[in-house]
Amino acid sequence: MSIKKTQKKQHNFRQQSLASFFSGAKQNDKVDIKTLLSKPNPSNTSVSDSNDLSNVKIHKLSDNMIDNEQKEKILTKKDQSDNHFEPIEPQSLSKRKRTTKKDDTNSETVEKSTELLQSKRSSKSKIKTKKSKAASNKKSKKVENEDAIDISSDNESAIEINDSTEDAIDEKPAQKKRKLTRKKLVNANLDDSESDNEKINVASINETNADDTDPPEDDEMLRHNSSIHENEIKEAEELASISLEETKTKIPRFNPEDNSIPYKSICDLFQEIENESSRLKIIKLCSEFFLDVLKFDPKSLIIVVYLFINRLGPDYEGLELGLGETLLIKTITQSSGRSAANIKKDLKDIGDLGEVAQKSRVTQPAMFKPKTLDALTVFNNLKNIANSKGSNSQQKKINHITKMLTACEGNEAKFLIRSLEGKLRIGLAEKSVLVSLAQALVTFELVSDGKKSKKASAELIVKAEDKIREAFCQVPNYKTIIDKSIEYGVLKLDEHVRLSPGVPLKPMLAKPTKSISEILDRFQNEVFTCEYKYDGERAQIHLIHDNGEEKIKVFSRNSEDMSQRYPDIIDSIRGFIKKNKIGMVKSLVLDCEAVAWDRDESKILPFQVLSTRKRKDVNKEDIKVQVCIFAFDLLCLNDEPLITKSLKERRDLIEEYLNPVPGKFQLATKIDTANIDDIQGFLDSSIKDSCEGLMIKVLEGKESQYEPSKRSRNWLKLKKDYLKGIGDSLDLVVVGAYYGKGKRTGKYGGFLLASYNQQSGDYETTCKLGTGFSDEMLLQLYEKLSKLVIAQPRSYYSYDSGNAAAEPDVWFEPEVVFEVLTADLSLSPIYKAGCDTFGKGISLRFPRFIKLRDDKGSEDATSSDQLVEFYERQSSIS
Amino acid sequence: MLEGKFEEASLLKKVVESIKDSVQLCNFVCSEHGITVQAVDDSRVLLVSLLIGNEVFSDYRCDRNITLGVDLKSFAKIIRCGGNDDYLTLIAEDSPDSVTLVFEDKNSDRISEYSLKLMEIDNEFLKIDDMDYDSVIKMPSIDFQKICRDLSTLSESLQILITKDSIKFMAEGETGNGSVILKPRTDIDKPEQSITVKLNNAVNSTFGLKYIADIVKGTSLSNQIVIKISNRTPALFEYKLQSGYLRFYLAPKFEDE
Repeated sequence: MSIKKTQKKQHNFRQQSLASFFSGAKQNDKVDIKTLLSKPNPSNTSVSDSNDLSNVKIHKLSDNMIDNEQKEKILTKKDQSDNHFEPIEPQSLSKRKRTTKKDDTNSETVEKSTELLQSKRSSKSKIKTKKSKAASNKKSKKVENEDAIDISSDNESAIEINDSTEDAIDEKPAQKKRKLTRKKLVNANLDDSESDNEKINVASINETNADDTDPPEDDEMLRHNSSIHENEIKEAEELASISLEETKTKIPRFNPEDNSIPYKSICDLFQEIENESSRLKIIKLCSEFFLDVLKFDPKSLIIVVYLFINRLGPDYEGLELGLGETLLIKTITQSSGRSAANIKKDLKDIGDLGEVAQKSRVTQPAMFKPKTLDALTVFNNLKNIANSKGSNSQQKKINHITKMLTACEGNEAKFLIRSLEGKLRIGLAEKSVLVSLAQALVTFELVSDGKKSKKASAELIVKAEDKIREAFCQVPNYKTIIDKSIEYGVLKLDEHVRLSPGVPLKPMLAKPTKSISEILDRFQNEVFTCEYKYDGERAQIHLIHDNGEEKIKVFSRNSEDMSQRYPDIIDSIRGFIKKNKIGMVKSLVLDCEAVAWDRDESKILPFQVLSTRKRKDVNKEDIKVQVCIFAFDLLCLNDEPLITKSLKERRDLIEEYLNPVPGKFQLATKIDTANIDDIQGFLDSSIKDSCEGLMIKVLEGKESQYEPSKRSRNWLKLKKDYLKGIGDSLDLVVVGAYYGKGKRTGKYGGFLLASYNQQSGDYETTCKLGTGFSDEMLLQLYEKLSKLVIAQPRSYYSYDSGNAAAEPDVWFEPEVVFEVLTADLSLSPIYKAGCDTFGKGISLRFPRFIKLRDDKGSEDATSSDQLVEFYERQSSIS
Repeated sequence: MLEGKFEEASLLKKVVESIKDSVQLCNFVCSEHGITVQAVDDSRVLLVSLLIGNEVFSDYRCDRNITLGVDLKSFAKIIRCGGNDDYLTLIAEDSPDSVTLVFEDKNSDRISEYSLKLMEIDNEFLKIDDMDYDSVIKMPSIDFQKICRDLSTLSESLQILITKDSIKFMAEGETGNGSVILKPRTDIDKPEQSITVKLNNAVNSTFGLKYIADIVKGTSLSNQIVIKISNRTPALFEYKLQSGYLRFYLAPKFEDE
């Protein structure tokens, strides 16, 4: 309890006015325990005679607090300078700690204490446990402690030490026992007569292990849904078991006085997540935080979630941060009084602008603090920054940011800058956020229902996760989902969150296959259909009926609003509805492919032609590249979602309502057959008609439902190219390049490509690429990429840094995506893709450039997991 | 109603020029005692505190407290329009939305009048208590300016070490190090050249040179600068006016340990 008290005291101190900043200098007699603990003083070797354990404990405690409260450390330094008090210094403590180790008495306490030292994390949690314990059990002591603070600092520290020692001892045997039993369980057989809970725990550990060295793709395809479900439940149970250790680690996170969520508490959690590598623990941390927010103020959750995923709204609204380095450096310059040159130098050394900002901020404290930042203020400011346009926008942005930076303490500056850069880089995938959200919401329901068991069962959590995930695929808008979940309950989300025209849903994706026989295997006993796979851009066309006004929108595969890009589509869409149905169609959502079209010869043009269209402010009169829409699915008609209907029913509706207009709007060419020769013939004719290959889809029954965002096994794609090689082309991010020689002088002659690791958010190098380019393309790429050059590889680039040969001549921002074909995959020590799995990276053999993927963002690139999957499938065949 | 007449426009010009790079927006608070300004820079590291006492003016009248929210950049532009030797009169209503500046040429009858629109500026006024500092030095302001400018070519931080009989300014940078040592001295003929050190405790403080560079813009206001420093507290840099002062409070830097 006394810790809390001192913390509060410092907090107040921080917010004091300038006047008291001055007078504060005279109050040196008020010594703070934290100050004492954080001040190293090697000359002093006399330490109290209490046992080793307590010393170790105190040492960790002080370390920890320094970490937590860097800012306070600075502010208290002033106190130290005139401090006549003899501090207890960690240095000598750690000396004792070392002797403890040497003694090797094997006693439980010693063993425990080393364990304590091993991880800062655990010690943190223990301190917190201690705190809460002290709160509940030792009320009398608490009062005593608080009094002691005011009496004299001497006593204060003494009591503090005793207190923590006692509690630490109290806590340990129990903790240790649990840890030991868990360890034992992992090694032992399952038939031990242990409690069920722990059994599951082990089972799930085994399960995840199995997952890591996963079965090849073919198995994956055949694996039944239910087994996946089982895994999820097990994972949820494991998650629940983590909570045994961590639920007690509560920090006072919110500020009830003005009903705000301090930005600090969010940043502290970011820091914790950044230090944590276990995905499950990260989810746990997040979901607990979300739950706390829900308990505190449900309305704030949406803002917190947006800060966590570093977005400013739903994707389809298209509001983005991602500010340039130069601008951010300017703001750091202004808020810390350092020169831009020095900041750039630091950036070179450290590699992360966020950390540079933190460092700059910490060494130059302000005279007095502006109001501390809270989540809402930060979010609104970020929004303002992203929204500012026009002549003076640069300066406005800089002012906004500088103002916030000035108010930043400790790690706030780091994460604020990273948010502004557009990437938090704490290893928190959006998927994990969604899962955490589900857990928090479902637990919150239990809590607010006043149920006795405050912990949701694993089944319930998994169910909630499914509901949220599904809802999100249909309506990718966190606000809607959170609001509706709170209003109606997570499990009823599907009744209240439905896809609606105007809100793009995530498109369904197809799995690659290599041969027709593979398709026949997969679709045994199913009715299926084949369609041309058009080589264009996915386009989701929405016809919206809004209070008597009709609107048409076109969304990309990433749910970006492309309406501006396709004014020609927008103008002609009404003409595609059958004349006799015109009054009957108020709204619809169509899944289509937009393809470049040669009107003179009535044929499809390659994707490259489409990508030469202007992207913004397209004027209908200036359009040179005509587009034909090939519709293949109808997802919503007159506000009625159709995605749970079978493909056959959806197709019938398309034919009933829509009217093909040659060269403008056509239905995807299809054939319903199960005959291998027919399919082969159809594939050949698709290639002849300038298509990429075929899409093969389940036609009837439950499996033919439209599954938003899923790369489903109910949709398979068969490309001509797949028949050789690994089965699919890869979409890889360009992270570096080599200067060209000879004919390619003055351009880039080769490129370094990387896959995206969705777990860690890193870009992992996978191959060099130098073939398949036309001279024109090389010139175009040079123009495009030379603007993206960065001096240093990003900290989230994973490459063989010890090997000079693995480094390209220039590094790029991860923005450009190439589609690449490869003959074969191999393992190579100089590349890093998937090296978590194999120790070596997966590399492409004879890679060949196919085209630029303008429609894909770098995070939509082929993931490292997919590469691993491809590699395993390949090796299982050969 | 405010009416304040400067014998020479150059004084206000110098004052505004010396703070306009530190702060952009600030409130001129006018009372019967004179005009005060208090403002912090954007990074909240530097605090500017200005008092132009009523004795500075050849004529001064202010019946009621008036706050003029001024954008210093625009203010400076207007003041530059007047000649240095002109009379300058500031005129404002009781609750003004603009302030009027009248320049009168002493040699001809030319009168120029400008008005500047005022702004609502949010600014809490802080009472700054006097306190005892570990050491107080007084030195020619021009010398201080030169030292700071020279050392700023090397580093972004200026370290000031004060002992009983010396003042040492130091800068350490990538390209090299530099230091300047001054000893207390008394110059009877030119008292403004004197250097004095009053010391309670030895001082070792480090400051961001960017801020110091802003501070020394006040050099033209006074022959001498008074620097009051304590360890680990904001230091005070003061240029005295004929009546009043221009003070800068600067938070020291804490280097990593």
